[in-house]
Amino acid sequence: MIKTGLRAATSLPPDTMDIIRSKTHTRRVRLNVGGLLHEVLWRTLDRLPRTRLGKLRDCNTHDSIMEICDDYSLDNNEYFFDRHPGAFTSILNFYRTGKLHMMEEMCALSFSQELDFWGIDEIYLESCCQARYHQKKEQMNEELKREAENMREREGEEFTTTCCSEKRKKLWDLLEKPSSSFAAKILAIISILFIVLSTIALSLNTLPELQDTDEFGQATDNPQLAHVEAVCIAWFTMEYLLRFLSSPNKWKFFKGPLNIIDLLAILPYYVTIFLTESNKSVLQFQNVRRVVQIFRIMRILRILKLARHSTGLQSLGFTLRRSYNELGLLILFLAMGIMIFSSLVFFAEKDEEDTKFKSIPASFWWATITMTTVGYGDIYPKTLLGKIVGGLCCIAGVLVIALPIPIIVNNFSEFYKEQKRQEKAIKRREALERAKRNGSIVSMNIKDAFGRSVELMDVMVEQGGEQKEKVHDNHVSPNLQKGTPKLKSQTSHSSPTKTLESSYQEQAKPSSSPQHLSAQKLEEMYNKMAKTQSQPNLNSKEKGLQPSAGRQRAEFEMGNIPTEAISSTGEAVTDMRSMSSIDSFISCATDFPESSRFSHSPISNVPGRVSTNPSLEPTLENEHEGSQGTTTPLTGRGTKSSAYYDSPKGVRFNNPRRSLKVNFRDSEDSGTRAFSDSSSVQSPEVSIYTTASSRTPTKSPENLPPSIFTFHDASINKFIDADTDEEEHLHDGSGTNPSQRLLEKASPKFGHHASFQQGSNHTEGIQRKLGNSTLPLEGQENHVAQELQPLQGEESHSNA
Amino acid sequence: MEPLDTGECETGFCAEGEIAVNIGGVRVVLFGDVLNRYPESRLAELVNCSTQNSEVISSLCDDFDPGRKEFYFDRDPDAFKCIIDVYYFDEIHIKRGICPICFIKEMEFWKIDQSVLDECCKSYLSEKEDELKEIANKVKVILEDLEVDQCITRTQRCQRFLWRLMEKPGSSLPARIIAIASFLSILVSAVVMCVGTIPELQVTDSEGKLVEHPTLEAIETACMLWFTAEYLLRLASSPNKLHFALSIMNVIDFMAIMPFYVVLSLTYLGTSSMMELANVQQAVQALRIMRIARIFKLARHSSGLQTLTYALKRSLKELGLLLMYMSVGIFVFSALAYTMEQSHPETLFRSIPQSFWWAIITMTTVGYGDIYPKTTLGKCNAAVSFLCGVIAIALPIHPIINNFVVFYNKQKVLETAAKHEVELMELKSGRDARRKKLKLVHEKRLDMCLENHYQCECR
Repeated sequence: MIKTGLRAATSLPPDTMDIIRSKTHTRRVRLNVGGLLHEVLWRTLDRLPRTRLGKLRDCNTHDSIMEICDDYSLDNNEYFFDRHPGAFTSILNFYRTGKLHMMEEMCALSFSQELDFWGIDEIYLESCCQARYHQKKEQMNEELKREAENMREREGEEFTTTCCSEKRKKLWDLLEKPSSSFAAKILAIISILFIVLSTIALSLNTLPELQDTDEFGQATDNPQLAHVEAVCIAWFTMEYLLRFLSSPNKWKFFKGPLNIIDLLAILPYYVTIFLTESNKSVLQFQNVRRVVQIFRIMRILRILKLARHSTGLQSLGFTLRRSYNELGLLILFLAMGIMIFSSLVFFAEKDEEDTKFKSIPASFWWATITMTTVGYGDIYPKTLLGKIVGGLCCIAGVLVIALPIPIIVNNFSEFYKEQKRQEKAIKRREALERAKRNGSIVSMNIKDAFGRSVELMDVMVEQGGEQKEKVHDNHVSPNLQKGTPKLKSQTSHSSPTKTLESSYQEQAKPSSSPQHLSAQKLEEMYNKMAKTQSQPNLNSKEKGLQPSAGRQRAEFEMGNIPTEAISSTGEAVTDMRSMSSIDSFISCATDFPESSRFSHSPISNVPGRVSTNPSLEPTLENEHEGSQGTTTPLTGRGTKSSAYYDSPKGVRFNNPRRSLKVNFRDSEDSGTRAFSDSSSVQSPEVSIYTTASSRTPTKSPENLPPSIFTFHDASINKFIDADTDEEEHLHDGSGTNPSQRLLEKASPKFGHHASFQQGSNHTEGIQRKLGNSTLPLEGQENHVAQELQPLQGEESHSNA
Repeated sequence: MEPLDTGECETGFCAEGEIAVNIGGVRVVLFGDVLNRYPESRLAELVNCSTQNSEVISSLCDDFDPGRKEFYFDRDPDAFKCIIDVYYFDEIHIKRGICPICFIKEMEFWKIDQSVLDECCKSYLSEKEDELKEIANKVKVILEDLEVDQCITRTQRCQRFLWRLMEKPGSSLPARIIAIASFLSILVSAVVMCVGTIPELQVTDSEGKLVEHPTLEAIETACMLWFTAEYLLRLASSPNKLHFALSIMNVIDFMAIMPFYVVLSLTYLGTSSMMELANVQQAVQALRIMRIARIFKLARHSSGLQTLTYALKRSLKELGLLLMYMSVGIFVFSALAYTMEQSHPETLFRSIPQSFWWAIITMTTVGYGDIYPKTTLGKCNAAVSFLCGVIAIALPIHPIINNFVVFYNKQKVLETAAKHEVELMELKSGRDARRKKLKLVHEKRLDMCLENHYQCECR
């Protein structure tokens, strides 16, 4: 590692011949995967020539090698990959033995990502490990799907289209979300009380002592109880109507199972009234009475209304729906047992005089009561044979009923747990929304239909050991992140020949008011993404495009800035980047040019990349600045990049907040001054950089030439430009952002940069972007998505 | 054990019998006398032949570095770390996380016998191996299905076609229709059997006896014909007749059909007065019970029922335990109840065998109420017996349930695993050919590169 760093800093890439020579001279190769050294024969790697390691063998140029691995050193005959070392052990064993086994403790999802990265199809997994792997993966996929569905549902609850949406939303919250406010809670309690009251009235009504007799001599309701009933029904009706009126999607509301129950609880009453009123004098009164009785029975359904207020009941319902297979099995077992034992007991008992087992259907009742061990005792066998059959029937019944129940129970407990977790997640989300309303978080697009599951975020948050506030932050940033790039990719996909300018303008429209980013659009994109992902040939296309694009960019940079490289930044970036992907080839193909460039990358480039990384804190500050007077975007950007640097690798969320605060103060201090004189900006900027770079773990101090700390104007300007284009461009189209205009005035290079960016859009870039942006959708980890986006931003620069 | 690049020990044979090995990048120095404790193992062989010619060495290890005197093996270092334990402790524990099947392969490479595996890990291994075996069985079945018809004769091809039609409902639409039809006929015949016993639906025959309704009988006959045809077709199409006749499902089928024909022949014999009529009727009555067997035919169509039978078969021991607990409890409590109830003048417990019935009904918590204790002591006894009954049933039932759940959950997993295995096999057979081709291309390219370079240098 150290040696490679030196090489990158001081010398040009090694000659093709050196590479070939080193490859032919040694039989073995050392692979350093995430710090763990492996040594393997080249011959072994040859066994799977189409995988990543197999291709390493074929690579004879510096660029192509850098495409495959993250770093290498010919002197040591060592290739570095920034991947999880644990998974690699089993993957390397696949080369050695031809059998792919999976480490037991490995998460199936992360293993599948590793497999994708190394270019190995999961089908090669041996059957002993494959079962577990697929089980886990399916489970996870299901969970993700459910999460997405939930998100989409929430998406539906938007009140933007029709009049007095504000009020309706309030009403909706009041009626549907008991936890949203105190009044809503009270309303829910009242509703529960009404349900209980009405059911009590219903059952009291049947007591003969409380019933009255009508003119026909038949028992009717007690008038007092009838009043209670009427009041309850009035309340239910009102509730239902209000819900219906305030619901954002009428048809969906109508279809909802809980609402159907509500309707069924109300309707019988009205039908009864209608029938009795209209048919009072008509002849078929008897028939009407019977119908009325049936409807009366339907009143019992109102007890199910309690399901709305109890998660337990809901999960019970869901469990029964989910485990209909097992329920069917239970019924089948019981039916077979009943059939067998009732016929047996019939044949045993039928010669007895005065027997109650008159036929097989008649003894069904006995068999049922015995198998369920209820045992009323109205029928019981009397002969010896019959008693033996009866004894067997008891034991068989106990067995047969007990067998499928644990499976159902398992389903139930799983679902119940899940429900509990979701409730918590919803609460968190609501808290977040409150925070948003309070103004602390603006311009966030939370309703991301394809947001990653909240659970995953939670895990990350727990790792960081953050407080609640932080939770929101983490929560939001990926959403924002995903929102814009996806849009971009969509536009570029639909109009590949358009210039970036137009596409940016398109982009600016929705992003200026993030609430407008409708779910439909996102879904559309999602579909497109899925399509592109399913095209495997994209993969190969990508590969073909790689070298040219990479070279282009390299040239551009070389011309601009002298090679003052920090290998450490390159590494820091690459390690984020290589975190994961679903379609590994798309991702790695797009990634490699970057890494190759980054080993000699000029410093100015790094911020450019960094700028697009939107941890929440920076954006927050951005907004602040905008409201303050728009003079400090520079430092705002600076903080942003520092946030990026502060959080390398998995510990992203550890300390950005702290450092940010410092930076923010800096920026306020140097606010206007910074803008008017770019050289004066240097000081805070540089300080940020020093802190940032010193925190980067992969950095080795001797690699850092002093020149890094002395920023010159050009690089800072560059840095500003790079920063602005990702987000400020959005505002560019709308032209409302004063800071943007100011910035443009102050730094002419911005304009240059922008134009340079706009002009140079070609299809390759779009395609690559597409490839990239598919990843967050399917990607398993949030921070992956975050990491990938910066690359994408980068991409657009480099296409120039 | 130290990582490779520390490189402190430069000599492979620093001391007598000491050898340095490099396993997949991890360097280990081993002592010859320790290794010789297992002389047939690969490392011991290496020590013994290390002074000899290089050919033997290269056959034993993948690479030899004469400068560092280091033997290189292209194997998994993690597994080796476990395997090396055998030289020091005489036993091996599989590291948690390594797949046991994979680990066994490593042990084979190092030529170490499986018997040194410790007991705790052996059970783990055998579990996995059982699973693999089951998968292999399923794979065999799938492969048999996939097998292309290489039957030469036309009859064989016909047989195969029939076999698929009858036994594999998923193979084609007609096969599915046949499966559904047979399922429905089972249901219909079961219903007919039950309905036929209702006295209101029966008719009196010439002798004043109640017999089944003629229409019901007609339906019954039709169903029986269908069952017979099905059974015969299956039998005809099966490749192995004896195996077919002895398998459980087909025995059930046979039991379902047989009574019908026996009754037919008996009545024929009865009418032709070769046997006494009363005897015939008794035999017919007895055979009627056999009709119940047709319900078990449902098992062919329900995987849940198959799982149940499988689970019961596997947990015979627990079932025996259940019965034993129950019988002990029945004996004890019926005897107790009998003696305690003796004092009551109108006791319902007349004898111990009679009170067995009471004990069963109480212990299984059914409680018909036809026999019940009347004295205080007897009531106490009943309460205790009920408690004991609950425990006696609940304890052995748990493993049975566990077996059932495990099988139930495993079934699907095994199914997918088997399918995957087949795919894998196809893939591997296809890959070998491709790999050869690719290797050729690669070598050619490398040669060309080198040639170019030399030409450049020459210039």
